[in-house]
Amino acid sequence: MRFSRAFAITKRIFRGLRHDRRTVALIVFAPILAMSIFGIAFSGDVTDVGVVVVNLDEGPLAARIVSNLDEDTFDIRYMESEKDAIEEVENGEAWAAIVFPRDFTTNVMAKLQGGSVAGDTTISVKADKSNVNVATAVMRAVADAVMATMSQLGREMPITIDDSPVYGKGVEFIDFFVPGIMAFAVFMLTTLLTLLSFVGERTSGTLDRLRASPMRESEIVVGYAMAFGIIGMLQASLLLIVATLVFKITIVGNPFLAYIVVVLLAAVSVSLGILLSSAAKREAQAVQFIPFIILPTFLLAGIFWPVEAIPSVLRPLSYLIPPTYAVEAMRSVVLRGWGLEKIWLEIVVLLAFALVFLAVSVRSLQREKG
Amino acid sequence: MTNSQNQLAVETRQLVKRFGDFTAVDHLNLRIKRGEMYGLLGPNGSGKTTTIKMLCGLLKTTSGEALVLGKRAGDPSILPRIGYMPQETALYLDLTVHDNIRLFGEIYGMGKADIERGEANLLRFIDLEKWRNSTIANLSSGMRHRVSLACSLLHNPELLFLDEPTVGIDPELRASFWDYFQALRARGVTVLITTHYMDEAHHCSTIGLLREGQLIAEGTPSEVTESAGVQSLEDAFLALARRGGGDEV
Repeated sequence: MRFSRAFAITKRIFRGLRHDRRTVALIVFAPILAMSIFGIAFSGDVTDVGVVVVNLDEGPLAARIVSNLDEDTFDIRYMESEKDAIEEVENGEAWAAIVFPRDFTTNVMAKLQGGSVAGDTTISVKADKSNVNVATAVMRAVADAVMATMSQLGREMPITIDDSPVYGKGVEFIDFFVPGIMAFAVFMLTTLLTLLSFVGERTSGTLDRLRASPMRESEIVVGYAMAFGIIGMLQASLLLIVATLVFKITIVGNPFLAYIVVVLLAAVSVSLGILLSSAAKREAQAVQFIPFIILPTFLLAGIFWPVEAIPSVLRPLSYLIPPTYAVEAMRSVVLRGWGLEKIWLEIVVLLAFALVFLAVSVRSLQREKG
Repeated sequence: MTNSQNQLAVETRQLVKRFGDFTAVDHLNLRIKRGEMYGLLGPNGSGKTTTIKMLCGLLKTTSGEALVLGKRAGDPSILPRIGYMPQETALYLDLTVHDNIRLFGEIYGMGKADIERGEANLLRFIDLEKWRNSTIANLSSGMRHRVSLACSLLHNPELLFLDEPTVGIDPELRASFWDYFQALRARGVTVLITTHYMDEAHHCSTIGLLREGQLIAEGTPSEVTESAGVQSLEDAFLALARRGGGDEV
């Protein structure tokens, strides 16, 4: 293994990029585009949900609760009859009918004073729960409004909850998402570009020319890994810059730790690309691998939801794919500001993946001579 | 190792390559002396490329022996001394002529000054000085062939494997390619060249006719035509192939 020969390959890849604007654009803009689209689209907040309020209460309490319903979440209309309101929901004109019973104020007050009143104190929410996000938002907003009203009336719950985060103060979905998309972009683009580039090396004959030279297989693989490690660091830097300036994300940790993660992940991805390339005879065949690279990573690596949210049956698969560790480590660094002493396990696992993948891809290149 | 072996650039003994049931190279015995221009002739699929790939260490042999410059084919110690021009153009399309050539200089561990000097000479040799900074994608296929040759020559190999270097290029360029090869031979480079154009074979000092992975005739071009009792190499091949085919079919 001679470094100068591996470095010749690295230089070749960068020199090629000078004349390949399309690939450069892909490397630069694809991650930023992905981050922006997902970050904005997945903000997670439900707004302007149409609901119908039926207030049969003769006292002021129901009206008070309604006035405390979150205006951003709801688009409120009023109706006189519960039947009409439910019909609206049935016809898809509203997401929920919120019904306050007759004598609601009186009954609630009686209950608060300790009387055992048989009267109805139920706010009934007849909701269209076919959309989980909307239904959850409706229920939460109604509960919030009730709590707010009670405290306005000086009737606070004896228990309060103090929300003071250890990590992730003021974190929104985009903050959670950025570290994930960094790992995802590096993994996917590196695998894809190596795969296509290596299929090119095979079909054009350049791989044969390299092999007939003093170049060793390990030097080719390391040369590729160095090039894409550098490209990965550039992508990560760009993403962090855009995330900080445009999306106002506070990066708590040390970006250099993020680079370590990115370089290791790039090494894994390069190897994967080389391995896949041996199973593809043409670029068109290589493209068929893309869903198999993207989907498991997308769904199982904890980019959009934590690995804990993945059904326990599938969770072992999450721990079998390298990006999971990169996403976790990256998130700990960026959002929690953890140092090497806390993310060493993820780093060690990634390093092990990288070494094994590199060795396997070198071996498979050597065996092709058979 | 005896003296005679040292004078041989390439020697194969009972060399066999099988791909599954198909035998691409069938007990081939080649002896190519240093300084020779050896033409391996035969139709498509006769085993020419497979032979060259084994000699360059790109394919493992199934059985038999292949010695190149006195060492087993593919031995790392001989790789810096051989040059290989694959049948495909085998260049990086997104790189300039200059970048392609210097890549191979870097791979062979040449210094910057050596690369510059070698490149300047080669570009003059292949008459592409003006195209130095054009990407390969912008060159015609004939120009690409010339750059490909330059990439195989930069490190001054003493043994050159050229796999069908004249396929798909116009007659004028073919003629100038043979001039290049003669010039290389004059410098003492051993050349093993494959072609299926029989009319090109008269440029070679020795030719071997290959058919279904077997050598059916070997000698100087005139020896081969004489032994077949015909005028041209084309006819010689057909006559010999028929004779050889009778035994097998």
